[in-house]
Amino acid sequence: MTAVALAVGAVLACACALFVALPFLREPDPAEDRLDEPGALEKRALELAEEKDRALAALKELEFDHRTGKISDEDYRELIGPLRLRVAEALRALEPQAESTEERVRATS
Amino acid sequence: MPELGRAALVVCLGLALYALLVGGYAAATRKRRLARSAQNALFAAVASTVVATIVLLAALLRHDFSFAYVAEHTSRRLPTPYTISAFWGGQEGSLLLWLLILTGLSALAVVLARRAAGDLIAWVVPVLGLVATFFAFMLVAVSSPFATQAAPADGAGLNPSLQNPYMMIHPPCLYLGYVGLTIPFAFAMGALLARRTDELWIVATRRWTLVAWTALGVGQLLGAHWAYVEVGWGGYYAWDPVENAALMPWLAATAFLHSVMIQEKRGMLKVWNVLLVVLAFCLALFGTFLTRSGVVSSIHSFTQSPLGAWFLGFICLIAIGSLALILNRLPILRSKTRMESLVSREATFLYNNLLLVALCLTILWGVIFPILSEAVRGEQITVSGPYYNFFLRIFGLPLLLLMGIGPLVAWRRASLRSLGRSFAWPAAIGLAVGIVLLLLGAGSSWIGLLAYTFSAFVLGSIGYEFVRGTRARHALTGGPWLAAFSELVARNRRRYGGYIVHAAIVLLAIGVAGSSAYDKVRERTLSPGQTMAIGSYGLTYRELVRRQGANATEFRALLDVRKDGNRVGTLASGKNSYPAEQQTSNEVGIRSDYLTGEDLFVITDQINPNGTIAFKVLVKPLVNLIWLAGVVFLIGSLVALWPSAVEQRRLADRYRELRALAGA
Amino acid sequence: MARPSPVRLVIALSVAAALAIFLLYVSVAGGTPSIQPSQLHGRRGEVALVGKVTGSPAGDAHSDGLRFRIRDVSGATSVPVVYTGSVPDLFKVGREVRVEGKLRNGLFVAKKDSLRTKCPSKYTTKKST
Repeated sequence: MTAVALAVGAVLACACALFVALPFLREPDPAEDRLDEPGALEKRALELAEEKDRALAALKELEFDHRTGKISDEDYRELIGPLRLRVAEALRALEPQAESTEERVRATS
Repeated sequence: MPELGRAALVVCLGLALYALLVGGYAAATRKRRLARSAQNALFAAVASTVVATIVLLAALLRHDFSFAYVAEHTSRRLPTPYTISAFWGGQEGSLLLWLLILTGLSALAVVLARRAAGDLIAWVVPVLGLVATFFAFMLVAVSSPFATQAAPADGAGLNPSLQNPYMMIHPPCLYLGYVGLTIPFAFAMGALLARRTDELWIVATRRWTLVAWTALGVGQLLGAHWAYVEVGWGGYYAWDPVENAALMPWLAATAFLHSVMIQEKRGMLKVWNVLLVVLAFCLALFGTFLTRSGVVSSIHSFTQSPLGAWFLGFICLIAIGSLALILNRLPILRSKTRMESLVSREATFLYNNLLLVALCLTILWGVIFPILSEAVRGEQITVSGPYYNFFLRIFGLPLLLLMGIGPLVAWRRASLRSLGRSFAWPAAIGLAVGIVLLLLGAGSSWIGLLAYTFSAFVLGSIGYEFVRGTRARHALTGGPWLAAFSELVARNRRRYGGYIVHAAIVLLAIGVAGSSAYDKVRERTLSPGQTMAIGSYGLTYRELVRRQGANATEFRALLDVRKDGNRVGTLASGKNSYPAEQQTSNEVGIRSDYLTGEDLFVITDQINPNGTIAFKVLVKPLVNLIWLAGVVFLIGSLVALWPSAVEQRRLADRYRELRALAGA
Repeated sequence: MARPSPVRLVIALSVAAALAIFLLYVSVAGGTPSIQPSQLHGRRGEVALVGKVTGSPAGDAHSDGLRFRIRDVSGATSVPVVYTGSVPDLFKVGREVRVEGKLRNGLFVAKKDSLRTKCPSKYTTKKST
């Protein structure tokens, strides 16, 4: 029993060690080994994307609340203007980022 | 065989350490292959834990009493299902179950999330590795399930109070909840370590938090039902420290689930959310610690063991480490948005959070106060029912009311005009119900009456939401009303799933109010043929029967039940005697009236040698609503959890665009 | 425009209110001290007596009262107890119990239905039976 147990244990340990070493065995000599991480530009873009989603969601929610009667017509008229402005700003904020990054990428390639 | 188990655990410990140390190094120095290697270590840890699990399970099923654990918690006569459940019936085995679920969920979480953000995962892996290292270390060095001994002829058997179907599901369900909270914690810490301030960690763990929270909720209800039906003192919750141990993280997680919605909608409360998730996780660890050490004596009490000190140390490490990290990253977490109005949905969510956290902390104080008082004054001052019930009412009743107010209020700002109109119907329903109940005599307990009135208000508000939404949908698309309703729910799963969960909580509140504020209790000693009356019931004690079960002798007193004079059935109530464990257990007789939700609860207190029996009988109105609430709760959670194709696509788009921007 | 956020104010007020309620309650109600028989001497007021059952329990808890003795967990000082109400199934000589009540003329008169036993731990290591 003990011999079998030890054998299985050894196999397990080896298999695990192999699995852990796998990335190095698969790519012994890779072109680059850096972990992708968002630079300042991407972080800003992510922030803007989240703001855009938030503004769009708020707009949808306002429409929904108005249709179900939670927000009166007067309140709706008051709130819809600034909200639409917010959405437009968020969309606009994302555009120049895309343009400038694309230009930069095109320039380097 | 035990050597294989021990070896597997050592391998697991090594892998967890690797994930922690190497993973941390890889994330800090941004090495891709090394980070991937650490991920693989986490996956491999699952395999080695599974091996250890199989070894223990096999030993249990084989009745291999050379395993000290098997000998301590099973016996030859123990029915097989209970032999399996003995896996988590003891300290060592339950730790192994924790580790198994932890490694499994960690691996799954990493696999599901790694495409979205590699750098976040790189930091999540070492955090998961840290928690896994602790549990693996406990299993290897402090509390091993693979200790061996000279095999005795038979084992000590499982504690009779654990020999029921609940043992099969209540602990694993709770563990799923406790362990599940590790995932949002790890992602939150990973995001902080990676210096991220976006909400990717929330988006990635939203469903995990929901699943863990649901499991904790269902697990607690199962525990309450177990206490009600099996322990049988007539109640379902005793404010036992071990029961509180599961309630506290659940309350913190409830607060968290609500406050992340604010972060989602308005980008606010980032610091609060991280603090909440740390609190929830620390409370989950604390809960595990409470049930594993004898620090606070309770009905579930466990003895002092070195495990307690280690657990406490780990909780302190996590708490201090997390707080230090949060403090360090505070500048980047501060948000610029401010709450616009005290009358908005954000504000109600904030009040709800404050109440939940306040309740959670008062329960925590009640649990540790006895320990502190003993340390300071030399005598233990115990805190029990009255303390907890007081604070449950102070914080719970406003929470109940808020559940009704919240849905009626819009985000950002609600004018008092539209508020008034939204409130009209639900408030009217609440008031009407309150008055009717008062006339029917519910005024005997004004707390119960208040609870009922608020509950009616909340149900009115939720119903109103569904009606308004369906009407709006119907106006948009035409077609049958049922289609409009199902489309409404399908398109707003989180909102309406949430409403269903609220309805479940209201059912729970009604059930609790009814069975505690309006119950009746009677104690009588009866000889065969005698009758006792309680409420509208009449009970006649007929005879005592004796039956030999698999591993117990069963004594049952048979009673004839009459309601309003009509014979409605027979009840059996008595005790079981377990020779192997030298214990007796209470086997209560319950008659549930499904029309009124009422229970007739008969406890056989004492079987006297002269043939008489001392009975304690309770009538508990509306108690079955509590169990119904559990079902509704589960349904609501499932609706909220259900993935929505639209939302998945929107999120995938968001992160794909960013990768395109990065030029990857 | 640096308008102070109402959020902070709400939080501060809520915390203060909660604290006030808490302190009010604790000062009015308080908990029950758990003490052992050796600390019982001269104590007035309601306490929770903790210790091991000793002597031979006699009587009926559902009529005149169950009479037994409780001694210190690790000591010999014991005190007689009279109890009425539900007796937990696990009650027996040597078991650690907790019961609330008052000391009257050397006899501890227990509060009805307040007797609790400490479950034999399912996590005990074999040695400490």
